[in-house]
Amino acid sequence: MRRNILFYALLIVCIICGTSAYSQDKFIIVNGTVVDKESKQGVPGVSVILEQTNKGLTQTNGKGQFSVNVPIGGTLLFKFLGFTTQRVKITGATNINVTISEDRTALDEVIIVAYQKRSKETTTGSSVLIQAKDVQDIPVSNVEQLLQGKVPGLNIQNNTGAPGFRGSVQVRGLSSLSISGSGNESFLQPTSPLYIIDGVPLDADKAAEFGFQTQGPGVSPLSLIPQEDIENIQILKDAQATSMYGSRGAYGVIIITTKRGNSKIPRIRYVTNAFVNAPPKLRETLGGNSERQLKIQQIILNAQNVNDIRAISNTPFLADSLNAYWNNSTDWQSVFYQTTYNQSHNLALDGGDPKFNYKANVGYYTEKGVIKNTGYDRYNLNMNMEFKPNEKFRFFGFINGSVGKQNKGNGVGLLQSGVAANGQASTLLPPPSFYQASGGVLSALQTLNDNNSRNLRTNVEARYEVIPGLAVSSTVSYDYTSDTESTFTPAAANGQFAKVYDYVGRNYQLYNRNGITYAKTFGEKHNLFINTFNEIYKQGAQAGITRQERTPNDQLQGPVGYDAYNSRGGGVLGNYRNATIASFAGSLSYDYDKKYVAEFSYRLDGTSSSGLENPYSKNPSVGLRWNFNKENWLVDMKWLSYGSLRLTWGQNIVPTGNLQSIYGIYNLNGNFNNNPTIGINYDLVPNPNLKPTTTSQYNLGFDLGLFNERISLNFDTYYKKVDNLLFDRFLSNSTGFNKLASNDLGIANYGTELMITVRPVVSKDLDISFSVNGAINRDVLLKLPAEYNGQYIRFDTSPYLQHNVYRVGRNTLSNYLRINQGVYKNDTDVPTDPVTGRRYQANGQFFLGGDPIMKDVNGDYILDGRDYEVTGNSQPLVTGGLSTNIRYKNWGLNLYATYTADRTILNNALADRIGIMRDPFSLTSVVPLNDLDIWRAPGDVAKYPYPYDYKRFDQIQPLRADQTLWQESGTYLKLSNVTLSYMFDKKFIKRFGLNQLRIYASTNNLITFSKYSGPNPENVTTLGRDISTGYPVPRTYNIGLNLELNTGN
Amino acid sequence: MEYGKNKREKLMKSIIKKEFVFILFALALFSGCKKLYDLPEEKDYLSNNVNFDNKVLEPIIGRNNLIGGFNGDNSTQPITFEIINARFGDGKPVTDIFQKVPTYVWTAPYTGFETSLAEIEAKRKIEEHQLFEMRSSGQFILWASSTNQLIKPRPIDSTNFSQDTRFFDVKVKNTGGERLIKDFQIRPWRERPYEPADDVNLYTGGPAPDPNNPLDKRFKNYIRPYMGNVIGVASNIDLNDKGKNQKENNLVVYIRPFSGGNGHTLRIKALNKDSVEINPAFFNETVWDKMIHGFNMQKTDKYVQYDVAYPIPLVEVPTFYAKGGSRAKAELSYSRGAFGGGRTVANFGVDFAIYKAGDWEIVFHFRKENPKFASE
Repeated sequence: MRRNILFYALLIVCIICGTSAYSQDKFIIVNGTVVDKESKQGVPGVSVILEQTNKGLTQTNGKGQFSVNVPIGGTLLFKFLGFTTQRVKITGATNINVTISEDRTALDEVIIVAYQKRSKETTTGSSVLIQAKDVQDIPVSNVEQLLQGKVPGLNIQNNTGAPGFRGSVQVRGLSSLSISGSGNESFLQPTSPLYIIDGVPLDADKAAEFGFQTQGPGVSPLSLIPQEDIENIQILKDAQATSMYGSRGAYGVIIITTKRGNSKIPRIRYVTNAFVNAPPKLRETLGGNSERQLKIQQIILNAQNVNDIRAISNTPFLADSLNAYWNNSTDWQSVFYQTTYNQSHNLALDGGDPKFNYKANVGYYTEKGVIKNTGYDRYNLNMNMEFKPNEKFRFFGFINGSVGKQNKGNGVGLLQSGVAANGQASTLLPPPSFYQASGGVLSALQTLNDNNSRNLRTNVEARYEVIPGLAVSSTVSYDYTSDTESTFTPAAANGQFAKVYDYVGRNYQLYNRNGITYAKTFGEKHNLFINTFNEIYKQGAQAGITRQERTPNDQLQGPVGYDAYNSRGGGVLGNYRNATIASFAGSLSYDYDKKYVAEFSYRLDGTSSSGLENPYSKNPSVGLRWNFNKENWLVDMKWLSYGSLRLTWGQNIVPTGNLQSIYGIYNLNGNFNNNPTIGINYDLVPNPNLKPTTTSQYNLGFDLGLFNERISLNFDTYYKKVDNLLFDRFLSNSTGFNKLASNDLGIANYGTELMITVRPVVSKDLDISFSVNGAINRDVLLKLPAEYNGQYIRFDTSPYLQHNVYRVGRNTLSNYLRINQGVYKNDTDVPTDPVTGRRYQANGQFFLGGDPIMKDVNGDYILDGRDYEVTGNSQPLVTGGLSTNIRYKNWGLNLYATYTADRTILNNALADRIGIMRDPFSLTSVVPLNDLDIWRAPGDVAKYPYPYDYKRFDQIQPLRADQTLWQESGTYLKLSNVTLSYMFDKKFIKRFGLNQLRIYASTNNLITFSKYSGPNPENVTTLGRDISTGYPVPRTYNIGLNLELNTGN
Repeated sequence: MEYGKNKREKLMKSIIKKEFVFILFALALFSGCKKLYDLPEEKDYLSNNVNFDNKVLEPIIGRNNLIGGFNGDNSTQPITFEIINARFGDGKPVTDIFQKVPTYVWTAPYTGFETSLAEIEAKRKIEEHQLFEMRSSGQFILWASSTNQLIKPRPIDSTNFSQDTRFFDVKVKNTGGERLIKDFQIRPWRERPYEPADDVNLYTGGPAPDPNNPLDKRFKNYIRPYMGNVIGVASNIDLNDKGKNQKENNLVVYIRPFSGGNGHTLRIKALNKDSVEINPAFFNETVWDKMIHGFNMQKTDKYVQYDVAYPIPLVEVPTFYAKGGSRAKAELSYSRGAFGGGRTVANFGVDFAIYKAGDWEIVFHFRKENPKFASE
């Protein structure tokens, strides 16, 4: 504080004296320190430049100090990448302090477009930049989680709590309608954005090709990136920005830049987090005698004849209440769920200057799942170095090695069906003990599951500027992942026979990019930038499994293979891949005085998986930008910091088919004349005309910064059309083939994104900033193959019968359900068929009071498969987030909230929960239903039907999953992250040899505000189904420490 | 000069402001306007595959016939169905089936627990309906008010000539479009006021031929009851020994109208071989008051009579009086002393339905040999 007063006093003196001292051309030696505004620390490596000569005088040392010889009256510029440039006029004072702050000027941001760093001012695409500090204080296994709610139009739903797995990510709505699986396990094919890590593309969907039934470790490649190592994350949303990334950029592009060395003296930084994961509130269960009483009462009240009541006596666990085996009150859920204590450590070493810098980052992250016997560990060693001896030559290389170890227990990661089923066991059963435990418990807790994903990613990049403005560059990278999973199920958990499962997979990507860029300024104001490059990918993947059903004993866990009869699996799994992609891309960008910008780009992708007729996909784009704040008539407006309008159009083309859909499948069909014959598989007719999926997008953007950027506003509206989506057409049987893979599906997304940031207070001691963003996205099905006549129903073959319907002109993923209109108050409320005189019925049972009112859609007084209607929208309409950042002196408080609105969730978990009551004779637990609005006696107006009538249950199915009773609004506001941090005073910690010390407490998934009746409206599948077999999202409490060692003297 | 510049600036400012407002407005408009993007309108779905399981309808006149079979292939409801172009095969227009007549419709469910005729009548009402119509489910209805007089049944010679068959087309329509399904046929069966109608020829309405002598016009078929342990007086063996009643037609049932009732009565009686009424008191094990859902039971020494609501059963639902739902039961039983001092129970009866209101009697006729009531 004292120093600050001194500083201000000096400044004032300088200003007063400044004018008089101007004309003298005398040299003095000025000493000083450059301090970061936020950390209050000296900033090393800041260039000190004399403005008059534009000559670099020196750089600050490790403590941020400098000493220069300057003429009085000259102006010193303090420049540092990522910080605002400060200018100080030399008036004679020999000791000055300079405070620089991080550069927040939105338009001066440097963003990466088509692998080139560009000033945001001269790019036309829609992009958002997230800084490291926004994603650091919450320990997560996958940094993607923390992007939630920070970027409008980037819809992230952290819908699984399984450590190491990913939630769903969509940029600007739906891009695919491909659903696999059935019922609860219906899985919408993820269309994740393309991730580019330090210039190298990465396939984030890699571990998701098997849907919920993950094969192998299922570790997302993103889970292998330590969040501490991230410098910034940039999200490109519109087609102009992404079209240069070709087919893989169709779903948006997310560019992650890791930290670079940037300190004259080596810095050692250490981050550690200790965090607690608490399972969410579990299902309430009636224990022990309450369970027995409820079941007996249910039987007596709903018995239809005396034999039903007699059945109680024949059911030991109900009748024999004094038997020690049946006389328990076991909390089964606590057997499977736990609160876990976890930690992460990250040690980073970096140093260097713009000419040569290096970084090494060692990380360890461990998280035990809230379901026992699950968890995720990550080990990292990331290194990079940059060598830039002069402006002409630059060399950059990195090597990242990581190991992700995952334990999925006996589930498949995203689904934990075994735990869900066993957690529902009757409380009357004895708890698992040394002497006895059920197979299900053992299976969940003692299955040895060892998953490893070992990844090595390397990259070298060189750039040489041949003549000023013309540069050639080349990048080669190799990315190799080895995945193994081995599961050993002990004999006791599997019907007295031990079981072994092994998965071995590998995949690699060799990637090369060579580019030429040319930048030229004509006549001072005409700027031209040309960027051309080619890319070659060589990708391969192969995986196989082996399964031995019955191994001799628990001691022999492998290698096994003694018995062919019990061997399952083998062969190569369906994710085999051997692909080559070659691309050429070029873009031309022109701006007039950075006022009018025009960009044109074109990219050609050749892949082997497009049809023979369309081997090359072409990705053109056009973008225009008008920075109207630079217009003469606005340049005087002080309140307008910046303002621009952007208009872009672009196309991304994604090959959708595979070799089978183009060429057909050929099988060995036995022998003819002792020669093996090969014939075509008649299921699928080859389609050489298969077209790639075309995503074309218009974007209109508007950026505005007001009052010295105290208020900044970002608006985008877009129309995105996804055409030629793959869709099976069923052929007339006279063709001999069953179906044709065709391209006749199209969807459109249109919407609006808005982001407003307000910084009401920006001062030395107090900064407040508040930001709100939101996106509305509507999707519409544009077309279906002609013979479908505008509607296609994807029938659910599971007992849930929750069908999906695609109807042209409607939101794409609607449910096809029976319409629930309440509960019949009395028997007399059930309608009667005027012709037959029969009551409304289902499966031959008449509806009665307490049964659900299910809309008789066709009016035949029979509830059957014809009484379905299109309803709901499983995709959220509105998503967004709120954030507040407050800094007061050394304290910091960050709040991040996200929201999702207008989405339909099918609360299958509730249906299953109430449905537990369907059979009082089964050994399952019972749940208290007091909290629910249930019909109990004639005359009750209720929401939920009477669940206890077990005799009529199977006919009436009052709790059937395929009704709109379970359709609820998935609107929620989640206060996800709260971080409170304290930065210790630098002087104080210096005594302990530290340069920086910051402690913080943070939370994740703190509170969710929602009217939704289930536990968590976010913890649902991408099709909006809240499944009871899912992995709950834990609440995290964290204490972290951030320190930097003082390695200088 | 200075003044002019200011003015220009001000003008500029206002233009800019206007422009800003316009731009913002335009942006907001852009995002909300679906039409701009030329998106397809959502339409109801009408499948190309809508059809009916059966295009030849064979309802029975005089009963409520509900004929389903519409297969909408998940077409969006509501769908409207329209019967058009009704004609005979030779082109003559068909109008008779579209006559409007009063007919009973149910408004509340019949349970079998009603305690008076009034309570039953309160559950149904009379409405005007076309004799033949379709409802929103795509089901065809021929109402019970139809009679042989109102609708000419199929020819008595069992031919199916085109000129005797009513044809029509159905137009299936929702907002997604319409489909025309052509050439339905209706071939109504003549009235069959009761079931089982074994004694009636379905084509002519006359007596049915005896299955044992189908060509001999002297014989006819009868409704035969089920019977058990009914011992003949003369032969002293079971009258249905080895199913012989099937051949001998000893015990037969007549379901026939009688005169002198109040228009909604049902009478049950038994005749001996001289066609003389057997006193119902002989059927000492019969539960008369719980046999028929009737009221005001009158038990004479010739018959037992109830006031009933027609049709019987009123609704095809399982009730106390009609276990299977579609047939009521008239069962007489009696007991007598058996060999060895015990009692032996005999019974006979018929599961029946009567569709036409009136005064009906169910007559069990021992045509050749009387049952033995005396103890052994």
